[in-house]
Amino acid sequence: MTTDTDARDELIDLAADFYDQFAAGRIPELELPTRTKSNIEYDPESGVWTYGDRTSTRSANSVRGARKLLKAAYTIEFLADQLDADRSSTLRELYYLSESWDNDEAQFSSQDESNDLVEDLEIVTGVTREDFHMRPEESGATLMGPLELREQTRRGEREIHCQEDVGEGGYQIPNNPDMIEFLDDDIDFALAVETGGMRDRLVENGFDEAYNCLVIHLKGQPARATRRITKRVHDELDVPVAVFADGDPWSYRIYGSVAYGSIKSAHLSEYLATPEAQFVGIQPEDIVEYDLPSDPLSDSDVNALESELEDPRFQTDYWEEQIELQLDIGKKSEQQSLASRGLDFVTDTYLPERLDAMGVL
Amino acid sequence: MTSFQSTIGDEEGIAEELAEGQREISIAEFFEKNKHMLGFDSGARGLVTAVKEAVDNALDATEEAGILPDVYVEIEEVGDYYRVVIEDNGPGITKEQLPKVFGKLLYGSRFHTREQNRGQQGIGISAAVLYSQLTSGQPAKITSRPKGQSRAQYFELIIDTDTNEPEIKADEETTWDRPHGTRIELEMEANMRARQQLHDYVKHTAVVNPHARIELREPGLDEPLKFERATDELPAETEEIRPHPHGVELGALIKMLEATESYSVSGFLQEEFTRVGKKTADSVIDTFRDVHYGRELAWAPPRTHDDRDVEAAVADAVANKGKEATTAFAEGVAETVADNDRLARSELAAIVDNVAEAVASDTGRTFGATVRENAVAAAWAAITGIDPDADEPDGEALVPDVYALVDEATSTRKDDAIVEAMAEALARRFENLDGGAFRVTRDDLERLVADAASFVAEQHDATFGETARENVVEAFWSRARTVPDDPPKVSSIAGDRDAAADLLEAMRTTDILAPPTDCLAPITAELVEAGLRKEYDADFYAAATRDAEVHGGDPFIVEAGIAYGGDIPAEGAVELLRFANRVPLVYQRGACATTDVVKSIGWRNYGLDQPGGSGVPNGPAVISIHVASTNVPFTSESKDAIANVPAIEDEIELAVREAARELKSYLKKRRSMQQRREKQDVLGRILPEMADKVSEVTGRPRPDIDGALARIMNNVSVEREVRDGTVTLVVENHSDVTETLEVTDIVSAEPTDLSDGTVVAMDGEWFVQWKPEVPSGDERELTYSVADDADFEVSVGGVETEKLTVNA
Repeated sequence: MTTDTDARDELIDLAADFYDQFAAGRIPELELPTRTKSNIEYDPESGVWTYGDRTSTRSANSVRGARKLLKAAYTIEFLADQLDADRSSTLRELYYLSESWDNDEAQFSSQDESNDLVEDLEIVTGVTREDFHMRPEESGATLMGPLELREQTRRGEREIHCQEDVGEGGYQIPNNPDMIEFLDDDIDFALAVETGGMRDRLVENGFDEAYNCLVIHLKGQPARATRRITKRVHDELDVPVAVFADGDPWSYRIYGSVAYGSIKSAHLSEYLATPEAQFVGIQPEDIVEYDLPSDPLSDSDVNALESELEDPRFQTDYWEEQIELQLDIGKKSEQQSLASRGLDFVTDTYLPERLDAMGVL
Repeated sequence: MTSFQSTIGDEEGIAEELAEGQREISIAEFFEKNKHMLGFDSGARGLVTAVKEAVDNALDATEEAGILPDVYVEIEEVGDYYRVVIEDNGPGITKEQLPKVFGKLLYGSRFHTREQNRGQQGIGISAAVLYSQLTSGQPAKITSRPKGQSRAQYFELIIDTDTNEPEIKADEETTWDRPHGTRIELEMEANMRARQQLHDYVKHTAVVNPHARIELREPGLDEPLKFERATDELPAETEEIRPHPHGVELGALIKMLEATESYSVSGFLQEEFTRVGKKTADSVIDTFRDVHYGRELAWAPPRTHDDRDVEAAVADAVANKGKEATTAFAEGVAETVADNDRLARSELAAIVDNVAEAVASDTGRTFGATVRENAVAAAWAAITGIDPDADEPDGEALVPDVYALVDEATSTRKDDAIVEAMAEALARRFENLDGGAFRVTRDDLERLVADAASFVAEQHDATFGETARENVVEAFWSRARTVPDDPPKVSSIAGDRDAAADLLEAMRTTDILAPPTDCLAPITAELVEAGLRKEYDADFYAAATRDAEVHGGDPFIVEAGIAYGGDIPAEGAVELLRFANRVPLVYQRGACATTDVVKSIGWRNYGLDQPGGSGVPNGPAVISIHVASTNVPFTSESKDAIANVPAIEDEIELAVREAARELKSYLKKRRSMQQRREKQDVLGRILPEMADKVSEVTGRPRPDIDGALARIMNNVSVEREVRDGTVTLVVENHSDVTETLEVTDIVSAEPTDLSDGTVVAMDGEWFVQWKPEVPSGDERELTYSVADDADFEVSVGGVETEKLTVNA
């Protein structure tokens, strides 16, 4: 874990880099890996997808580049001060905070811009934004299952059991899951669930208790904290991880970012991705096999599926087969469509069958 | 018409009755009824046209006399009428000529000449006189003082519309303060609704005649409009030229043939046309021979293995010349013939003549005309294999030769049987040609080949397509020989319409130099630009003058100019100035070839806004187009619009595009300069701020960022360092091209130890000058020594200011 001082030093080093470039009569520039789909590569050692060798240069040689670097200088100062004062802020706060800077040119024009810049700084300094004390606006999702942990909060240490000490909502994952220490568990496997409705269904049906399962709520595209804790559960507790999502291309991307890492944060894949995570469903195959109620694929669905066929992360036999099958049948189904067979069908039949077939149970 | 109707039933005497009503119409009478043809269709327009005609005449007259024109135009209200006064400082008109010039339509000196003039037909000013007398009943009042005469002549005259003759109302001597010149005063029914056109006309006249001084007074102006002279250079004097062979028509050619004093065609061509000398005349005549007489097909002489023997044939044909001479003659002919790949009969005749002369001088035996003819006939029979005495042509003799050419001319894919059949069919047709010399015109050759081809197609159910036929024709024609016959005499061509048409075709198809341009007075690109500069305050000017081209025997030159930016209004369409022979065209813009061409150009390519990608472009620009010609083709007698003649349109387009290309590169450069300036502004602000911030964060002193700045701005920097009495100017070139600078340092004390460069003392200051050439990415140090308390002031030239950073 990076200490606050380390993080601060990395930032100052970057500023010193700019300084030295100026002093040498050179044009300040920043070299970053190209953050596009075509520049992510499979790293066989860690089993995750990281950025390839292609880089692009932010140079002050252009008006755009100069503005970016000026903003970087101001953001470095802000983050360094924040670490000094042991405060934290959200990405959105950074965006608004830039309005208070004395220089109009340094202000962000949109939150995407400030988010991107923080990611750029993560990449060059090798320090995660959590260690810069930056957090996303919406925090991570929830855990429910036989796990006892200790969280380091600003108000002291808390020991929490994620079934007994929490309500039906479950345990709220903090922004920096590295502040958590696992104490004890009785988990056989972890199940990451896309939608809140399905998570609630599993809890109501007592699935976590019946199968010693840690139910992780992904809340759509999972936040970094959710992905990080998933990886830690897998690595530290040595349990299999399965992802349960809708049967459409967008949900496959959710699985992709849990298992392989996302394109935007490929520099952190080693830290966030769980390559061993398996996809439970809904598989296109299930739509056929269980005759699930379905919607036709829209044009954007088809485009997304086709683009996934070209996505290096999905170039496995399994995914090619599933995606092509889905394009063939032209249908998609939600997790909740399993309710067409009764409310208990998912916990009594579908999941046990699928998890058994996958070798998780 | 009614009289015709009433007598329709009574056939007798209709013609006589009609004849009573038929009489000659005076030209003046005709135009009285057709005023619009001359640009006098309304009062508003009549005024502009009258001014235009008089000013055009004034400019023509002064230029012709080598005088810088000084033209005065005044319009006054006189009761219900307007009085138009135009005065010039021209050479004046003699007492005898004056009434005719102003009082007779179609009287002029220019109609019959090929020379660039504003006026052409001799209609304009007399039409104005006619219009004035018709609308106001007042005579034209003309004063003229020829150069060198002490007194001026004053006339009042009207035109007798029945006879088209001037009728003099007053004729007296008078005094005039101008030393020479002409003044015309016309009173007419008119109005000033066309004020804008009037002003445009005068202004545009000034643009296109930068050597003229023009003044306009009219009731709507508080101050007279004065257009001053921009150059003292008169336009080049024009020379009258003869017509160009490419531009005459058949009727005109026949008239010229009838009128010429030349006896031979060659003499006629050289005498009557421009750009025709002996050589050109010869090549026209050769083409004429081909067109008129046709060529003679040439055949391959027999090779040794053939059983046709030229030598034996010639020897047989010669009688009573003795063995020695006969043998020498026959051998000589046979050897010379064998030296030729192909021979036409006329060539053979020439060979026989030559050999006969040679043998005669060797042996003393003369070979008379009859002997020679016999020898030619015998040798020709041997060469072609055709027996001239045979009743029926055998049709076989020419086949091998014809086959070789047809086979060569057709593609290899052609079935050999077809080629064979074609060769046979053609050979038969050639053999049937009259005269034994195989004379054929190209047209006839084409017909023969087509005929043979269709015969083959029919007989062999095969196609012999157009391309194949053309190739065959070309194969024979290119090997056929131009005949040596003398062309007919001029007088017989004049009497023979077909021969004249052949001559015309020969003239048109022969390459002939473009006509000389000294009959034209282009404004020149330089003065087109000067004219625009004078009347338009713009940021950019460009002009182009094309080389002369020919249309209908008349040479013409197109010039174009463009002014852009500055005070020219940015809204709406660009202003289009049209000129023909230095006369502004004011009316009928939409009917003019110049407008059509401007509309057809894709102006977006050249950086101007053009809604919809066609039509007149928008923006702060003026486009001026000048067509100069010995005969500008107008759409009508009122000379408002240039006709859509393709040759002229092409040149207009090329001229406009040439000027537009310069505009494009200017606009591009301007845009990139603008971007560069913006970039410099922004970077010049951001980078110091960034440097401040990083020094704040790192806790180090502010870094020196000048080097980075110069590099970023891609520019050239000049910096001064003064240390221990040594001044160093460091020139760094961060641009991507080699820059040559002019650095001048003005020093308040005397500099010493210069690193090259020069120093000039002036009024207690010293001007130190260097001209360093600095390659891209390199630097130069310019040094000198000077007292410590000296002041400096540096100025740098040779580099655009946008690229330059001077810190000295």
